Amino acid sequence: MRLGVTMKAFRSIDFLTGLLFLALGGFVILYGSRYAMGTAVRMGPGYFPFVTSVCLMLLGVVLVVRSLLREGKTIENLALRPLFVVLIGTLAFGLLIERAGFLLASIVLAFTSRFADRGFRFGEVAALALFLTALIAAIFRFGLGLPIRMMPF
Amino acid sequence: MGFLEHLVFGFSIALAPTNLLYGFVGVLLGTIIGVLPGLGPVATISILLPITFSLGPQQAIIMLAGIYYGAQYGGSTTAILVNLPGESSSVVTCIDGYQMARQGRAGLALATAALASFLAGTFATVVIAAAAPQLAEVALKFGPADYFSLMIFGLVGAVILARGSVVKAIGMILIGILIGTIGIDVNTSVARFTFGILHFGSGIEFAVVAMGLFGIGETIANLGLSEEGRTYVRTYSGLWPKPAELRAIVPPAIRGTLLGSALGILPGGGPVLSAFSAYSLEKKIAKDPERFGRGAIEGVAGPEAANNAAAQTSFIPMLTLGLPSNAVMALMIGALMMQGLHAGPQLMRDRPELFWGLVASMWVGNLMLVILNLPLVGIWAKFLTVPYRFLYPAILLITCVGVYSINTSAIDVLLACLFGFAGYMFNRLECEPAPLLLGVILGPMIEENLRRALLISHGNPVVFVQRPISLAFLILTLALIGVLIAPNLRSTRQRAFREKG
Repeated sequence: MRLGVTMKAFRSIDFLTGLLFLALGGFVILYGSRYAMGTAVRMGPGYFPFVTSVCLMLLGVVLVVRSLLREGKTIENLALRPLFVVLIGTLAFGLLIERAGFLLASIVLAFTSRFADRGFRFGEVAALALFLTALIAAIFRFGLGLPIRMMPF
Repeated sequence: MGFLEHLVFGFSIALAPTNLLYGFVGVLLGTIIGVLPGLGPVATISILLPITFSLGPQQAIIMLAGIYYGAQYGGSTTAILVNLPGESSSVVTCIDGYQMARQGRAGLALATAALASFLAGTFATVVIAAAAPQLAEVALKFGPADYFSLMIFGLVGAVILARGSVVKAIGMILIGILIGTIGIDVNTSVARFTFGILHFGSGIEFAVVAMGLFGIGETIANLGLSEEGRTYVRTYSGLWPKPAELRAIVPPAIRGTLLGSALGILPGGGPVLSAFSAYSLEKKIAKDPERFGRGAIEGVAGPEAANNAAAQTSFIPMLTLGLPSNAVMALMIGALMMQGLHAGPQLMRDRPELFWGLVASMWVGNLMLVILNLPLVGIWAKFLTVPYRFLYPAILLITCVGVYSINTSAIDVLLACLFGFAGYMFNRLECEPAPLLLGVILGPMIEENLRRALLISHGNPVVFVQRPISLAFLILTLALIGVLIAPNLRSTRQRAFREKG
């Protein structure tokens, strides 16, 4: 029973947010320890991030303690498929845009991202990918004149 | 120059053909994107931000402001026709607007929203023209300590009036501030948190954070939602209100306008808070409050007027003090920075054409919205029927291309991807990403002013209570915190946001 309660606390959003705050704050303090602190009169580059991180960690402690004291909402419905598919698609775009040009990167992103949702139909996705690629190329490259390379060569 | 001369000067700029054109394009694009369910003004502006980079500062800010009202109005359309708030300030419009639509009065609800918004927009334009110069005059006297205290006041206000957990909102601000420290420290020339990547030396581009969080993160979150409950109302008739209906619209619209104009100026205030407050006000003074929730026209007119008035008056602290009272204003400051301009009292003094042109363009933009939206509402309703499976690849693509085009940098795209991941995690952890944006914008300013204030005072923190302006802001901040801790308001605040939250 006791264990059950604790397990649930670990999945509560307050607890996880608290951990996130602690981890981020801790990381900044550790990584930032290479920057000089200075004094209040002449603050070094490390001063302000350090103070901010300490505040963030304090909030993290508040959240963790609160989550252990009272039961709160737990994290659920993590949509892993959209998460990974969208991230892979945008990552691919970022890696391809300079190596392979916009046209290819755009088609790859359009195709990949459609796997995030159900009902993938090749013909439909191909038409969508071509339409969006042409539209966005027209707007950004030719309409706004932004220097985006189109072709891989 | 007096009040009228200022306005005439502003209109001479806002009515210049190129400015009219970009204002119109902004309003149009804002409406189109804002109509799409799940895309509020912050997401819309983030996604469309890169389009304005190639423009001059005047056109860019006029267009962005146009996008803002367009998105705001598009959100109301979605709320009325689909019962899906396109953005949080339309949540209230959903309650009675959608009921009106189901009763076959969608046309009237849409016209009410448009006319109430226009009335509010007109009044708010006058408020800005009258109040901003005075405020800017005062702000020119601010020293570093005063700015520091003002920003702390602004952030605390933003937290208190925001939705959701206060502790988390403060945490998100702090994370934003930490993100803002990335890059070369201006005082010591030390590269902070750049992880050896040269590109980060100039800091992380604000737009990349916003587009990652809102363009990518929110898309993932939307994909995770089920599609139930999307019943569309496609028929609407009787767009123009009859005289009796017009008489029913005007008083709540006036009340909403006054309330919204006042709340919009407060830090943390803005469209959302104003819409909620106006709704409660109308419900409270109505003779038959049980009509609310069943298609009461006052429940559309009041909040719609309030959110539009607040959307405009929230420009006042942004333009005169450089203080963003909400995430949209943070985006505006970011956009100005990218144009090499700093929001604040100097802006009005050094670039009056920019300021007054924008103010006048607000009124023009509101007029365009009415002209554009009433006849074209049929087309917007069609946009609503575009399936999400076509929309989200488009949103992702525009976001990615937009991020890339900021600095033609592929690293920025990867960074946006990272912020997209963070955005989805924040969404699942019920951490609002908007305060983080405020932190990113205000962080460097807070640090700079803190350093300068303490340097001037030789490290003596008493400087913050010695200067009267600074002291006043700190007292106000403490008062806000006191109000926050008071159990009475705390429960009201929770109730206000839970009431159809």
